[in-house]
Amino acid sequence: MRSRGGLRRRSAITGYALLAPSLFGVVCFLLLPVLVVLWLSFQSWDLIGPITFVGLDNYRSVLSDGVFGNSLLVTLVFVLLVVPIQTLIGLGAATLLTRSLPGSAWFRTIYVLPWICAPLALGVVWKWILAPTDGALNTLLGQRVEWLSDPALALPAVAAVVIWTNVGYVTLFFMAGLLNIPGQILEAARIDGAGAAKMFWHIKLPLLRPTMFFVLVTTVISAFQVFDQVYALTQGGPARSTDVVAARIYYEAFDAFDLGRAAVMAVILLVVLVVITLAQQLYFRRRVTYEMD
Amino acid sequence: MKWTNFSKTAAIYLVLLLGALLTLGPFLLSILTAFKTREQFAQQSALSWPDPFTLENFALLLNGPAQFGRAIVITVLAAILILVGQLICSILAAYAFARVDFPGRQVLFWVYLSTLMIPPVVLVVPLYLMMTEAGLRNSFWSLVLPFAFASPYAIFLLREYFRGIPQELIDAARLDGANTLDVLVEIVVPLSRPIIATLTLITIVSHWNSFMWPLVVTTGTEWRVVTVATASLQSQFNGNWTLVMAATTLALVPLLVLFLMFQRSFVRSITIAGSA
Repeated sequence: MRSRGGLRRRSAITGYALLAPSLFGVVCFLLLPVLVVLWLSFQSWDLIGPITFVGLDNYRSVLSDGVFGNSLLVTLVFVLLVVPIQTLIGLGAATLLTRSLPGSAWFRTIYVLPWICAPLALGVVWKWILAPTDGALNTLLGQRVEWLSDPALALPAVAAVVIWTNVGYVTLFFMAGLLNIPGQILEAARIDGAGAAKMFWHIKLPLLRPTMFFVLVTTVISAFQVFDQVYALTQGGPARSTDVVAARIYYEAFDAFDLGRAAVMAVILLVVLVVITLAQQLYFRRRVTYEMD
Repeated sequence: MKWTNFSKTAAIYLVLLLGALLTLGPFLLSILTAFKTREQFAQQSALSWPDPFTLENFALLLNGPAQFGRAIVITVLAAILILVGQLICSILAAYAFARVDFPGRQVLFWVYLSTLMIPPVVLVVPLYLMMTEAGLRNSFWSLVLPFAFASPYAIFLLREYFRGIPQELIDAARLDGANTLDVLVEIVVPLSRPIIATLTLITIVSHWNSFMWPLVVTTGTEWRVVTVATASLQSQFNGNWTLVMAATTLALVPLLVLFLMFQRSFVRSITIAGSA
């Protein structure tokens, strides 16, 4: 008995010794900041002066002015532009690439390239491509289009750049999903006389549901946090037409020096994303079947 | 029948090629422009070949006030330190979660996993305050510390992998008198090379590319990383696109080379990263 208790204590000590460094990191740089941002949302701070308690003032200010409302709306439109379009293009590309034509692997490699590169650097390249007078696109088109300074075009232009960056990532997952579909199922459908269209809609698409779900979850969450491309391309302008939430948090904190308001926005973004994640998890557990694994 | 098949295949290749052209275009434009003189850039089409071929943009970038060379060194050093710290801390933690029985294991693992839901954007403001209070703002350590201790994500992936290592191997080593660290160094880590390689790629790529945190926590050229240096070049030399494209080329090409070298593990790492 005593030796078993000793063993158990020893394994507890080993466990916590192994865990100590990472626990320090998780507590200091993940959990503590969440508490700090919550605390800061009730304070007023301009980066230089003292931090003072202001109660719910920041919440009132953020929820009553239209600036944050605009950012939420812009972000929502952005997500609704980016996610469906890149999912469709990715699904299309994956369908073509899984036909085992020679050279498919090369195309797949090329399509993924933007995904692994720095979004900021790619954003700067696109900033030049879309520049009004000496930009590559307008030179090619032979006319001057204000891609990034026309409030009606700026958000779609930023969305297009982000879609361009993400398509390869989405394609990769749909390729994996399509290749996972057992050959017998497709063979059986073919014998039953299913054509290509029927095969896609009634066999492949339903079987891709776990992949589809995964792709939608991850891309919705990442699109909600877009920052680098917006910073490079438009800095939130013109007329706040691309002022997504992450950019607003940054400008509120480090341009307007209102850390309290920035903290409120960060708290709201955190709540929104956690709710989305949990809702999707619940839905996932209920609806998606893993029969294919 | 044969003819329709052929034209169908041709149409597919046409679409795929168009996609490849659209994907590669911006990279090629960036690289072409980086080797052009300002005069050629002003006079000729964006698609023209560099003539004369010049390295003056890179020279100006590396030797000029932008201190781009310094930025590259700082980015590489920070990424290496983050990588080493993360790997060590994550391997230790993952082994504890996979193979050591200690009270609170389930709860702690759940806490680690739940931190995956925290969006990085949310952490920027509080971390900035914490770094300021610690007197570490605008320092090399402010780039490294928040990421060097552990990545719950890496811990999750490693734990899955460690659970697949046969317990008999570990027990046999134990009988030979090996302690936990011996087991880790001699058995677990060598057997986990593929997943460690994957994590290495993910970590290096994400920290070479990271932007918002370095932008916030550093000021001036001293501790600037590559992405921040590129962004500030663009606003400082707006319109000097040959210089700016030299910067984006330097920011992009190392990863393109890395990707082409380790293509297979990269593709696998993205799909693993995704399915976690």
